[in-house]
Amino acid sequence: MTISEERSTEVSGASSGHPHESRGLSWTQRPGILSQNVITALVFAVIGYVIGHWFGNYLSSGYTYIANSGQNSISNTLALAFGVLGWLGGIGALNYPVAKLFGVDGLEEESPVDNWTKYFRYSLDHKVVGLQYVVGVLLFMFTGGLLAMAVRAELLNPTTHLFSPDTYIKIVSEHGTIMMMMATSIIVGPLGNYFVPLMIGARRMAFPRIEALSFWIFTAGYMVIFSALPYGGFPTGWTGYAPLQTQSGPGMVSYLLGFAVIGLGMILAGFNQAVTIINYRAPGMTWSRVPIFVWSILATASLLTLATPVLFAGGLFGLLDKTVQTTFYVTEHGGSSYLWQNLFWFFGHPEVYIMALPGFGIAGEILPVFTRRPLFAYKVAAAGMIGVALLSFFVWQHHLFQSGINPDMRPLFMLTTELISIPTGFIFLVGMGTLYRAKIRLEIPMLFVLALFFNFLIGGVTGVFLSDVPVNVTVHGGFFVLSHFHYTIMGGLLFAFMAGLYYWLPKMTGKMMNKKIGKIHFWMMFVFFNLTFFPMFIIGLLGQPRRVFTYASNLQGLNDFSSVSAFILGLSFLVFFYNLVWSMWIKPEIAPPNPWESLGLEWQTASPVPAYNFERIPVIMTDPYRYSEPGAPDYADLGTSEPSAPSKHSLA
Amino acid sequence: MTNTLKPTGPSDSPEEREYEMRALISSIWTGGRLFIGIYTFMLASLVFSYFYLRSSNNGLLWRPNHVTGPRSFGLLVFGFSLTTSILAYVGRKRLVKGSFSDFNVAAWSGVVTGLLALLLQIIELSHLGFFPGSSGYASCFVGFGVMNIATLTISAYWLETTAARGLRIRRELPGDNPEFSSHPRARAFRADVAAMAYFQVFVALTGALLFAMFYLM
Repeated sequence: MTISEERSTEVSGASSGHPHESRGLSWTQRPGILSQNVITALVFAVIGYVIGHWFGNYLSSGYTYIANSGQNSISNTLALAFGVLGWLGGIGALNYPVAKLFGVDGLEEESPVDNWTKYFRYSLDHKVVGLQYVVGVLLFMFTGGLLAMAVRAELLNPTTHLFSPDTYIKIVSEHGTIMMMMATSIIVGPLGNYFVPLMIGARRMAFPRIEALSFWIFTAGYMVIFSALPYGGFPTGWTGYAPLQTQSGPGMVSYLLGFAVIGLGMILAGFNQAVTIINYRAPGMTWSRVPIFVWSILATASLLTLATPVLFAGGLFGLLDKTVQTTFYVTEHGGSSYLWQNLFWFFGHPEVYIMALPGFGIAGEILPVFTRRPLFAYKVAAAGMIGVALLSFFVWQHHLFQSGINPDMRPLFMLTTELISIPTGFIFLVGMGTLYRAKIRLEIPMLFVLALFFNFLIGGVTGVFLSDVPVNVTVHGGFFVLSHFHYTIMGGLLFAFMAGLYYWLPKMTGKMMNKKIGKIHFWMMFVFFNLTFFPMFIIGLLGQPRRVFTYASNLQGLNDFSSVSAFILGLSFLVFFYNLVWSMWIKPEIAPPNPWESLGLEWQTASPVPAYNFERIPVIMTDPYRYSEPGAPDYADLGTSEPSAPSKHSLA
Repeated sequence: MTNTLKPTGPSDSPEEREYEMRALISSIWTGGRLFIGIYTFMLASLVFSYFYLRSSNNGLLWRPNHVTGPRSFGLLVFGFSLTTSILAYVGRKRLVKGSFSDFNVAAWSGVVTGLLALLLQIIELSHLGFFPGSSGYASCFVGFGVMNIATLTISAYWLETTAARGLRIRRELPGDNPEFSSHPRARAFRADVAAMAYFQVFVALTGALLFAMFYLM
């Protein structure tokens, strides 16, 4: 049977009792109040929470240790878990898994109404999910940023306090956890989901339901982690170290479950992206023609899928300790607090690269466009990304230099940690090689990319210092380390995210961001980021520890300088939000189809991007970055040329 | 976009549809293997915890009095789980040979044995002969029990949904056998059966390893 015959069979099958037609509209499709959307999700989440709480109390009513402690972690855990299930059920994410039990292999779940309400529903369109992620991560970042402002406000004075020590550490913990969880998804979620299919010439993701599920799990995880505050918070910092973990109150359950839930979302997101990149590349897109951003997402996805399950398991063991009284992390009862450190950092260090690699991918994508030059040593950059991903599994023990590690093992992990700077250096040099003698167009995305390299250089070099055992032992647990990782994560990742947003928002929304406000945003963010965090290196070397709400009085000047800079840094984000609102709604400027004159495939398709992305499946003809090369063929044949022109479009 | 087997573009040529169909089938293949990778790392966390606590033996509380989980329950759970895996594997082999009815019988029998294994695992976990926090081993055993419940649930769910899908396809494509048909739904079904059977083999192998760790060592 030919493909055409198959299609006609499908049509006739559909008219004679085809399952998709016969059942009519599914719940996600129904109009009005009958449909499933974010409101039904909230209602179901609340109902789930109440049922879970009751069920937990019912199950644990006979346990004396719960009656004596006055805290019921079982009911807290079940309440949050059922709340998450309710949230997913309410949004419609469970419709298909349930329908599958009856053999259904296709279900109409897309909203029939193509308007703004689709952004509040369970959508299987990767572009809708990408934009949902944009809003989601910005919300994460905003709440985490507010907590950062609270931290810096407290550190204005070593003797006059806004918060108690207990409240302070809980604010620090919540800030760290929210930011780290947000940061893992900040590029993979919004830009990865939106642009990977477009950049590889695909019409869809491999598993659209898994993609949508990952977003709605991500939002549920956000709420679970945020629920720690009304539960009284947790005092462990974002690392959740035992034995403090085991000793702390119910807020710790939110931390552990929140990590597990978001971890699950991360696994699903990485899984879907990896499978899509491997299988849905357009004809002709060999591995040496894959855009560098896609390479970075593939490397990141491999880390997400393989490292995050360990975090998930670690969180599960922590929850079992809190609920059914196992003793995984309780040394006095046959467990070990170091076990948590090992499991946590086996995920935690790859996570650093989960955050860094997509940032480098964005830089690699933007540099050729604004220098009009091919990406220097493209294959080295791709190899560097895979090298970083592989090596990142062998460095986690450097986080234990000061705690639970056999001293004889320190040199080995010092070596592996220093080794990872080699492929990272490759990626850095690729950027420098592309910039060398180039005529740079200093548009806003490019400014952010240049700032990324500046910041990451400082973050990276201090990272090499920290990998050395003597330095590590000296500055461990202080502001030096804090400044180092803010330089890599915020200075690297967040600047890359901003570069990506300014670069791709015209494609996503059809509107240009205001340049003047954008430049004000950039310079405020760049200058005050450095003025906030560079003094912290000095503060750290002078001995100020992290997570402590007071400090030696001679450090007040530097702390005040850092705090005031942080407030202006916070203000720069308000400038960004202002620009966003101004450019999208108040005074929108329609974006040209290809405002940066990029060769990238994502810019070649129609704007706004149709649901099917490409009218015909494109055929890739050559390498992706042949800028300023006379006679270079088009990157892709989109199959929409005039009939008179010789057609090169063939999938063979 | 929503139905993975519907045309995705406005003017799909047969060539394009075939290209997307192959991508879909390859995705099922890759996804099945990657899922095993994910699961391996999760189970490896348990294995690491087991040997880490065992070698630490803090306070000589790794396994005082050599306490062991209920062996008879463990053997039954493992036995039923292994049977499920074998049935799924054999069912897939029979499907490849062209016998849909053999696959059907094997798959549904596998669902029953899988659910029995799941039920027994839950009962075992609620009838332990020791307190979960009494030792390192006890903690790991509870962790193993919870993870095994997840594994058996996934295993039974995947087998059941595949079997149910097979029945529906058979009913909705009259005269077109799912084992040989070139219809996209039948091809996707066969790819799914292959991925599922591969996962079941993985479950059997890891189940044997974990059984040895927790009941025999």
